[in-house]
Amino acid sequence: MGKNLAEQGGGRPAQATEPTPEEVSQLMDGELEADGLEHACRGLRETSAMQTWICYHVIGDALRGCGGLSPGFAERFAARFSTEPTLMAPPRRHTAPAAMAWALAASVAAVCVVGWVALTTMSLPPAALATARDATAVRAADARRPVVNEYVLAHQEYSPTTPIQGVQPALRVVAADDQNVAR
Amino acid sequence: MLRAEAGARIARQRRLRLASLAAAAAALFLAGTAFAQEASEWLQRAAEAARSLTYSGTLVYQHGGRVETSRVLHLADAAGEHEKLINLEGPPREVVRNNEQIRCYYPDAKIIRVESRNSRNAFPSLLPQQQETLEKYYSFRRAESARIAGLETEAFVFQPKDGLRYGHKLWADAATGLLIKAQLLNERGVPIEQFAFTDIQIGAKIERDMVRPTFAPPPPDWQMRQALPGDVAPQDTGWQVKDLPPGFTKLVEGYRTLRGKPAPVAHLVFSDGLVAISVFVEPTPEVPQQIGLSQQGGVNVYSRQLKDHLVTVLGETPGATVRQMAYSVAHR
Repeated sequence: MGKNLAEQGGGRPAQATEPTPEEVSQLMDGELEADGLEHACRGLRETSAMQTWICYHVIGDALRGCGGLSPGFAERFAARFSTEPTLMAPPRRHTAPAAMAWALAASVAAVCVVGWVALTTMSLPPAALATARDATAVRAADARRPVVNEYVLAHQEYSPTTPIQGVQPALRVVAADDQNVAR
Repeated sequence: MLRAEAGARIARQRRLRLASLAAAAAALFLAGTAFAQEASEWLQRAAEAARSLTYSGTLVYQHGGRVETSRVLHLADAAGEHEKLINLEGPPREVVRNNEQIRCYYPDAKIIRVESRNSRNAFPSLLPQQQETLEKYYSFRRAESARIAGLETEAFVFQPKDGLRYGHKLWADAATGLLIKAQLLNERGVPIEQFAFTDIQIGAKIERDMVRPTFAPPPPDWQMRQALPGDVAPQDTGWQVKDLPPGFTKLVEGYRTLRGKPAPVAHLVFSDGLVAISVFVEPTPEVPQQIGLSQQGGVNVYSRQLKDHLVTVLGETPGATVRQMAYSVAHR
């Protein structure tokens, strides 16, 4: 479905970081390779690309006749998604494209839901778009685990709960360091 | 200020004096409610147990769907505290603490990070005005006792009264007060981070050798990343947070030197008595930094660009709280 639309609007030249409607369409259909995937997801934070993405999904859903999410679906989904344990997850590999793809898929899912709600409830207010972009940012940040460890360590010195937890809070940093430490 | 062990001892004594003063003040000012006294006595007992008991156990750390298991050994002797933590899965990691000094070992990367903890900051929550905010912004209650890691524990909950902080549920060994399990709860009461012992022997026999680092002395090709003198030198930085979440007051303000940062970084710490929020301001670094919200365990981090400075706000609070603060940082 998205493909036809992409062809109609596909003549627009792409900006450096903004995915073309064609790429958005390919992203929806799961046809992008790892590099393209990352580029497209990063590009979704651009307002116009996000609108394309939301637009394609809403049109697709409408044509397939599926809509009618129950009230509060987005909140319940987000709540369950954020707490979903993955106890049986396979060990992470050091350069894990699969893990990255999964994380990006997660951002996509979050954005999709937020986008749907934005469209169905208030026809794309800027605030909802901002929320959608934030959702992407949070997930992407999780995946890359930025090294803000110096800050976290400096902060924990002052955390009132540190004395009752001994060395345990250091685990936050050790856990996040993982592969980043060598850099 | 304070220097060497004598300094640390004085600091400890001063803290204890402050603690009893604060408890007395709480009893006076808040005679009607047992809240502040009970909460602070309970926290004090847990801190004292964590410092003075010798124990070994298996610790499980859960956050964001990840689970990490570690072995923890804690020895308290005449020389103070010695603690060793080794993770049991994935690439080996080791954290060794000798009183104020913490070393993190990463054998695969051949790196040792050396940190020092400033223990004289322990328990700012015992200051009387902090106790008042604690009572104003959290409700403290006893929860159901539970059996954890083979021990009878007492559970306590700090429930936030607004959406700007997380809830804390803590389980302590009924006999000793040692913290056995700790949960950070989001606004829906769902745990977002948890530390828990799955087995623990309090009073275990631990030899000094057992808490020494496995890699001592480190092989010559290992890299030692020494923390620079980390203390905040208290001074006015000119930076301020205009829209401070209610209940948070400034604990400290100054400049500190951080590893990997060429220039001193302004560091302001705010606390509501139970958690702290740090504000860091530095000249825009050459290496591009992640902007926006990110998480590290139960810690939310929000970074934003403010003209030619990078502002980073972090703490064990909801993302909205650190975001609000990040957007209200300004230079006087």
